[in-house]
Amino acid sequence: MPNMRLLVVDDNAALRKGLSVRLRANGYEVLFAEDAISATAVILMERPDLVILDLGLPGGDGFDVMERLHRSDPLAKIPVIVLTGREVAGNRNRALQAGAAAFFQKPTEDGTLLSTIRSALNMSRDRSHLGESSISC
Amino acid sequence: MKELSPQPAQENQEQLTAHLAKKSHELRNALACIRQFGNILADGLAGELSDEQREYVAIMLEKASTIRRVLDSSLDGSAGLLEVATNKIDRPSKVGMAHA
Repeated sequence: MPNMRLLVVDDNAALRKGLSVRLRANGYEVLFAEDAISATAVILMERPDLVILDLGLPGGDGFDVMERLHRSDPLAKIPVIVLTGREVAGNRNRALQAGAAAFFQKPTEDGTLLSTIRSALNMSRDRSHLGESSISC
Repeated sequence: MKELSPQPAQENQEQLTAHLAKKSHELRNALACIRQFGNILADGLAGELSDEQREYVAIMLEKASTIRRVLDSSLDGSAGLLEVATNKIDRPSKVGMAHA
């Protein structure tokens, strides 16, 4: 899947850097945002194929970002993977109910995260193709 | 004799829980960085390592795993090292089977 663009939203610069090295090594283009407001702006302007989203962010939190995404039909289709240092209890179910495709607690295994990214992009692409064929019918 | 209210004890418990959650969050972010860059080095993404350098990075990553186990078992009260939940995504093994 060439030229897939992933947005990494995290207020920790070192984590953004480390994750970007790993993602680029796997053929992805990487965009960044370090707070909830700029995350929403980047999503609106750049329409990434997938968002990796921290929950604890300045200017709101990851839940605010997901809520804003789901107000817009095209943006709501962008898969979101939550990657957070917050505790699982309470946050996992809340994130999944808010529309996240997956929830990971830091630190996570690179291989598992990359597999989940691939699965989410495949499912998103399949949904998109289904939508296109329904429209053409 | 005046009976003590249980309120302060409950408040203390809530403060302790919030404090531990904050510390866990800080440690998890720091640990994620250590592991992320350690794996980048180990996988040669920042250039090839000598055998000696590779050995040192492996020790660093092993000790990072030890810290994670301690973190999971003490601060979070959870035995799981990695909590993953999927909502709309098939697990990778299922995707592999579907493609087989």
